[in-house]
Amino acid sequence: MRRRTLLAAAAGGLVALIGAGVGVWSQVPVIPERPAPDAGAALGWIAHRNGRYTLTLPRAEMGQNIATALKQVACAELGADWDAIDVVLHATEMSRVKATVGSESVMLFAEPLAQACAALRDALAAGQATGLVTVTLRPVSELRALRAGGLIGTSPEIVQGREIVTGAPLYAADVRLPGMLYGRVLRAPASVEVASRPRQWSLDAARAVPGFVAVVEECGPPIGQSQGLGIVASRPAALDAIAEALQLDWDMAGPHPRSDIARAIDIEARLAEGKLPHVVMDDAPEDGPWDIDLRLDIPMAAHGPIEPRAAVAKWQDGSLTVWAGTQDAFYIRDFLSHAFALRAGAVTVQSCRIGGAFGGKTICTVEAEAAALTIATGAPVKVQWTRAQEYALGFHRPPSSHRIRARLSKGRITDWDHSQISAHIMFTSAVVPPWMQRGTDMFAGDGGVARGMAAPYVLGRARAAYDMVRLPVHTGPWRGLGAGPNALAIESAIDDAALAAGVDPLAFRLAHIADPLLAGVLTRVAEIASWERPLAPISGLRLGRGIACGTYKDTSHAAAVADVAVDATGLVRVTRLWCAHDCGLVINPDQVRAQCEGNLVWSLGMVLTDDLPTADGHVTAQTFADAPIPRMTEVPPITVDLIQSNRPPLGAGETAIVAGPGAIANAIRAATGRRLTRFPVRPGDLTA
Amino acid sequence: MLFTLNGESRDIPADWADEPLLFLLSEAFGLTGSKFGCGVGICGACTVIIDGAAARACITRASDVDGLSVRTIEGLATGDVLHPVQQAWLDLGVPQCGYCQAGQIMAAVALLEQVPDPTPDDIDGAMDGNLCRCGTYPRIRAAISRAAEQA
Repeated sequence: MRRRTLLAAAAGGLVALIGAGVGVWSQVPVIPERPAPDAGAALGWIAHRNGRYTLTLPRAEMGQNIATALKQVACAELGADWDAIDVVLHATEMSRVKATVGSESVMLFAEPLAQACAALRDALAAGQATGLVTVTLRPVSELRALRAGGLIGTSPEIVQGREIVTGAPLYAADVRLPGMLYGRVLRAPASVEVASRPRQWSLDAARAVPGFVAVVEECGPPIGQSQGLGIVASRPAALDAIAEALQLDWDMAGPHPRSDIARAIDIEARLAEGKLPHVVMDDAPEDGPWDIDLRLDIPMAAHGPIEPRAAVAKWQDGSLTVWAGTQDAFYIRDFLSHAFALRAGAVTVQSCRIGGAFGGKTICTVEAEAAALTIATGAPVKVQWTRAQEYALGFHRPPSSHRIRARLSKGRITDWDHSQISAHIMFTSAVVPPWMQRGTDMFAGDGGVARGMAAPYVLGRARAAYDMVRLPVHTGPWRGLGAGPNALAIESAIDDAALAAGVDPLAFRLAHIADPLLAGVLTRVAEIASWERPLAPISGLRLGRGIACGTYKDTSHAAAVADVAVDATGLVRVTRLWCAHDCGLVINPDQVRAQCEGNLVWSLGMVLTDDLPTADGHVTAQTFADAPIPRMTEVPPITVDLIQSNRPPLGAGETAIVAGPGAIANAIRAATGRRLTRFPVRPGDLTA
Repeated sequence: MLFTLNGESRDIPADWADEPLLFLLSEAFGLTGSKFGCGVGICGACTVIIDGAAARACITRASDVDGLSVRTIEGLATGDVLHPVQQAWLDLGVPQCGYCQAGQIMAAVALLEQVPDPTPDDIDGAMDGNLCRCGTYPRIRAAISRAAEQA
């Protein structure tokens, strides 16, 4: 444990310099545990008292509205009134559940919850009023919640919807505690992958700022190699004035050897160095000239949730309580126990509704800052990152550089070769240190980079291989992981192949698809979009229609059609989007549609806006103006059609992102004759 | 310094006068519906209505509302009866994560008070400065149209 100086009350208010020297932090990361959910554990999620039920949500709620879907499952299985079930978000006092990632919440949690609810229902019917219930697993076919009918397949008012529209407190930053202070940890304007630490600062100037409480040197573990300096104030905006008054100087190592990120992520340069070590498909294509040879470059992108991550921490009598908007409260607890050398039982993390996560709120950052500052000051502390901190200190979708080559014979693809260089996703550099990553690189590759690289088509002799480099900016999971970028590359190449073969892109795809479910969504989207219908010309605009499809995590399927209009300056407007989606049994159709709509807006962003600018190995974006996200005027009407299915319920949170970007890029190709090869599109790329 | 907050007269504490209005509302008064998203008036998550017009609480100094009337999301409903815009939001299942939605709703309310029967262009024009990363824009458009029809 590190030295610690507790806050002393000084004349004229609380003034303190807390901590001296910088602690030595463990170099061994805490890796998330990911237990599979089962019905026994699920009993801890549902309880009955005095005629009412409490459903303790085993998932993080971040806008997928899983609270509503799982309440439907519980309600249907229990045979309870909708209003008789209270839904609460979990704290770490519950037994561990795995992180809310990968579109698994309905797929993996609906059945165990239904099993537990069925057991509880039968126990209540048998007259048991107290104690624990034993779950005897029954066939899925006997579960009322896993077949259409009743509440299943309907869309009741969303759980917490009333709180959202009335502004009731739900999110981590909404937590207010008596005596609460506001904190921030300042870090050097440098790559998080090079060592940096505060060198000197003007404490007297900071002290003079109204609202100043403390400067805290012991401000928690570094982010990457970036050691910070904590500041604490009695009012939030005083933090800005204190940060300025400090006139902080930094010790910064560097530069990072891969400060030029575009050079590090260049597939031609990488292939010139030798073979790619990680193989997804390994059927060797034949030598010879290629009909399609397409290179695509997709940049780094931020998650861009409107909620900058936030945490409130309270240190009292040797116990730490943290309110967090996190996709993995248990990981936060374990991380904090480890970092601050506390017994696991001394740390409690309460999940709050998350104001958008998209894969980005899976690690422990702001929670550790708040914890360090409450431990140092003895007062509860709220920390919410600034937007600039979100960009500089978060992890991001890695850039990727793709080369796809294909050979055709008689209108069919006979050979396919997809090469990719990217940066780590599953083994994110935000958690996994370089020495450990060398091991994962060697033995495991990175399933996140690989996700979706096995194209869902019959492609003859097909190879797909990739490699990763560790970048100066942290990279990690972003909605769909590699699936969105890989599908954008694949669907662009397939479209070019259709064009080269002289075959309609819908017919060409159908001719290369073996899975009838994938063919099903493709056929359906063509129907609802009237694929065959020619576009009515508009003077001064180049119009185009594109189609694409894909399969996510081998289970759910989506297909999309996009219409675009491109003006003479090259400005692209997406004018219409359609999507057909098959994720098995649908518990809540309106919210599955909402996920599809969200994925299509993200698809539009992938083609038109997503880019996170960097220079000299660190992120330069400060505001949404530097890293724009789609705006209302850019988003067209969207039509979503859900396939009725007898399959079990599957994932919906990331599926349509495998279809939307390709459909839009292919529509632009149809409108302009130009294949986009670097993203996002710049107007100069498409001038008439 | 006094201002009107959701119809009631409130004092602006001297030590909060230089804070952004957003933090006066959310931290000093506990009205946490208005959200911090960017701090520079770009995203709209902090949108409130000041003297009838949508305004960004994150770039409005608390002392600047001295003598003015401020309305926030917490002041829209009458008891348990939701404002028509709030009701339309619920009926059409607009929110995903929900974080931007208080700002969206306040921008929509300000629009409908000025333009009770907005065209699609009016809606897009008024709402374009309110960002939503979840992508709820098509539903926001539909909810505003529905609220306009039912008003």
